Amino acid sequence: MDKQNDTMIKTIIDRYPKKDSAVMPVMQYLQKKNNNRLDDRAVETAAKAIGCSKGKIYGIATYYTMFNTQPVGKYHLQVDTCVPGFLQGADEILAHLEKKLGIKTGETTKDGMFTLSAVQDLGSCATGPVIQVNDRYFENMTVKKTDVLIDALKSGKEPENDPSMTVVSKCNILLNDRTKKDCRTLAFYKGNGGYQSLKKALSMKPDEIVAEVKEAGIRGRGGAGFPAGTKWTFLPKNDSRPVYLICNADEGEPGTFKDRQIMEFNPHLLVEGIAISSFALNAKKSFIYIRGEFDWIADILEAAIEEAKKDGQLNHVDIVVHRGGGSYVCGDETAQIESLEGKRGNPRVKPPFPANFGLYGCPTVVNNVETLSCVPYVIQNGAAAFQKIGVTNNFGPKIFGVSGHVNKPGIFEYPMGTPLKEILEAAGGVKGKMKGVIVGGLSVAILTAKEAEGLNMDYDSCNKAGTALGSGGIMVVNDTVSIPELALRTIEFYHHESCGQCVPCREGSLVIEHKLRDIVEGRGKMEDIDLILHLTKNIKGLTLCPTGEAFAVPIQAMVSKFRPEFEALVKK
Amino acid sequence: MDKKIFIDGREFAIDGTKTVLEIARENGIYIPSLCYLKKLGPASMCRVCVVEVDGIRNLQTSCSLMPTDGMKITTGSPRVIEARKMVVNLLLANGNHNCLICERNGDCELQEAAYNLGIDIPAFVVPEREEKDESAAFIIRDGNKCIQCGRCVEACNRMVVNEVLEMGNRGGHTHVICDNDLPMGASSCVQCGECVQACPVGALYEKKGVGKGRPWEIRKVRTTCPYCGVGCQQELHLKGDQIVRIKGVEGAQPNDGHLCVKGRYGYDFIYSKERLTTPLIKKNGKFEEASWDEALDLVANKFKQIIKESGPDAIAGVSCARSINEDSFYMQKLFRAAIGTNNIDHCART
Ligand SMILES: Cc1cc2nc3c(=O)[nH]c(=O)nc-3n(C[C@H](O)[C@H](O)[C@H](O)COP(=O)(O)O)c2cc1C
Ligand code: SF4
Ligand code: SF4
Ligand code: SF4
Ligand code: SF4
Ligand code: FES
Repeated sequence: MDKQNDTMIKTIIDRYPKKDSAVMPVMQYLQKKNNNRLDDRAVETAAKAIGCSKGKIYGIATYYTMFNTQPVGKYHLQVDTCVPGFLQGADEILAHLEKKLGIKTGETTKDGMFTLSAVQDLGSCATGPVIQVNDRYFENMTVKKTDVLIDALKSGKEPENDPSMTVVSKCNILLNDRTKKDCRTLAFYKGNGGYQSLKKALSMKPDEIVAEVKEAGIRGRGGAGFPAGTKWTFLPKNDSRPVYLICNADEGEPGTFKDRQIMEFNPHLLVEGIAISSFALNAKKSFIYIRGEFDWIADILEAAIEEAKKDGQLNHVDIVVHRGGGSYVCGDETAQIESLEGKRGNPRVKPPFPANFGLYGCPTVVNNVETLSCVPYVIQNGAAAFQKIGVTNNFGPKIFGVSGHVNKPGIFEYPMGTPLKEILEAAGGVKGKMKGVIVGGLSVAILTAKEAEGLNMDYDSCNKAGTALGSGGIMVVNDTVSIPELALRTIEFYHHESCGQCVPCREGSLVIEHKLRDIVEGRGKMEDIDLILHLTKNIKGLTLCPTGEAFAVPIQAMVSKFRPEFEALVKK
Repeated sequence: MDKKIFIDGREFAIDGTKTVLEIARENGIYIPSLCYLKKLGPASMCRVCVVEVDGIRNLQTSCSLMPTDGMKITTGSPRVIEARKMVVNLLLANGNHNCLICERNGDCELQEAAYNLGIDIPAFVVPEREEKDESAAFIIRDGNKCIQCGRCVEACNRMVVNEVLEMGNRGGHTHVICDNDLPMGASSCVQCGECVQACPVGALYEKKGVGKGRPWEIRKVRTTCPYCGVGCQQELHLKGDQIVRIKGVEGAQPNDGHLCVKGRYGYDFIYSKERLTTPLIKKNGKFEEASWDEALDLVANKFKQIIKESGPDAIAGVSCARSINEDSFYMQKLFRAAIGTNNIDHCART
């Protein structure tokens, strides 16, 4: 057993240029082998294997949510109660589970079978409520299906997951036909012209590829919308250090579940995108940093990479799939680099920027899954073809995820600039009367129903409307929802996820959470509302990384646009 | 052409080695700081040192800001003050900052910032408490006063490389841990006290100093640690003639503020009743107090007698390995030149 451990740990370590990077995979491996728990012995084993202090391992274990330093039941039931789950009735599922199991959230049943937890966003926004059982997802849950699940687990069985939702692709570039059973295979992908673009790319000069991507004007789909080609040109020229490409597959922003659609059903598209981009950037080693909760999707990616390797597609680059440990902030590029170096996911101070000083202090490019998945199309068809899709300055296809109060939540691949109205119609229309809509993931300003009228879904139009396209995660809120409660859920997420480095974010989110809870639970005072606005105003732009802004903006918008709702709660 | 910047309208030359905070400090311009410690470099975490820079939208942390030619910096605009006040208020709101009973009252960077910003009691309070950790021999940890600045963690890992302290958990639950969250007394901590010296507030303090004296009652005396040959520079904090605590002298050779557990905390012996304060000479089987002249004369005469009777090689010298180089040099000189033997060694070789 110990010998087997040693060999496995060595295999993991060998995957990385630096030993420290293996720390999380080693911890994940040890936890899995030890009844889902990272006890003191496992901490010690990991410390020895990596050659670091126990404190470092423990600091990492308690930073990332997926490590259990305390014992958990055989089945760890994790109900996603974050905003999308909240809108879809996750609270009801959680309450039902408490009653059914006779325990409170955070407790374990006496027989050690079940631990019940409420967790933050799991990236299953259109298929909520979702319960994660150990590392498996059970989506589209109802009270009835929850009963079936628990009974099945009790008798040692695992029912099938039902991940069904609406899928519409108008562009057919990023999404494929997932109804085909073999949609993930190399054969299927190649049958539809896959890896032709890579072949073409390998016959070009790297600089020509960069130029083409720059010309196409693919704006980063991770949220900020920075042009990918321009970012690529920031890499220093004639530098002897190795270049790294990191594909950001952390997908942690509540309301966002787009990248997983590509990775889960069309993995070779991403692999081809990374292969081309790595060639263009001269990266011999590339990483896909995928959020740890998407364990099975990571398996799919690894299988696809293996297939592509065998097919001779990846002779120029080694692609490593790296699983995160449960942290939203690790979606930030510098936090991601730290995490990949085997540390707590604390964002770095910029400058220096990753292009000059990234992974292991080397030139590094971080791009989102969807961004890199646009690359094969651009190389195959040319920048001009890409620019035919979408609107000026906002080109190409975009995957929109629609969740919350619509009749047919799901995933929609439409050209940039498509009217919000059209997307919502494709999602079956609003359920009930729309109160507001969050169009770019939880960190953007909510729009009132009126403000959302006539909105087109592209970066520039959203900015003009006083919000942001962000990740394109659209959450519809109807008039059954209390905005103060929505605000509380929002701040709970960011406070839970804050890395804790800087004061305005760490302490600010804590105070705002307390004050919002006071308001929602009827203890609030009028001055609390002003205090919240005072804090959000000052936190914006004051923090070390953009996370401070990521909650200051939405909270400020909710409070100022729906202030009467907050006042009504404190007046009573 | 010389490069320069403007801070609050005053002009300063820059040479690319100093941050805006350093330049301001050297010139008497007050900017509060909490996570910055000279020895450790900027951490950019507390955000209290922000300033406004012309042409840059967001406030900038002066501790990490390297000035560029022509930069115009404002350190006290209403926007800056409002942001700083919020940061300090947030820190005071969370925890238990009752300065009355705090060991660092009067010598605390948070209190100083609050004082300079004119902050009274925090405008909002969040009740959240951590337990005090008094398990270690010499150091008390009070999580209720910790501002998570990370200075102790950096000091323990980067300065003394004892790798005991880490940050555990995250968000509002971020706190300092020892090893895998053990009480300090049960951890691998060697009680060197480097972390205590790095702490800007009263979250880490000396057990032996509790209740012994306030900063303004203290007289500081610089001296050399008597324990070993390294010669670490110490600053004794005295109330009357009693040592309240000992600090390492920052910026001084050879220790730059570091001390070991003995030098920092092992000072009780100087008050011991058993301590020898005069030489003793055994007369009739009993030790009697003597003067230095009596004692030295006695030893010199005995040496002379032995040399006369049995030659110089009948004498050997063993010196203390903790002696400084200069003393060791004199010791061997005494034996070789004055006594005339090469029988000279030191205790740590046995
Ligand atoms: C707190 C935070 C979380 C983020 N999460 C993600 C994420 O989950 N996925 C992502 O691609 N980008 C995320 N980003 C943006 C990344 O920092 C980075 O800009 C992006 O990956 C760059 O890729 P792109 O230019 O292709 O969009 C996040 C940023 C912040 C500040
Ligand atoms: S803003 Fe929040 S997440 Fe970002 S560095 Fe500061 S504490 Fe960490
Ligand atoms: S740590 Fe500073 S601010 Fe806090 S109680 Fe002590 S002296 Fe006062
Ligand atoms: S006393 Fe020394 S060893 Fe112990 S925690 Fe502090 S710095 Fe680390
Ligand atoms: S104990 Fe002191 S030095 Fe350490 S993080 Fe807390 S305030 Fe900073
Ligand atoms: S002193 Fe500059 S950020 Fe703390």
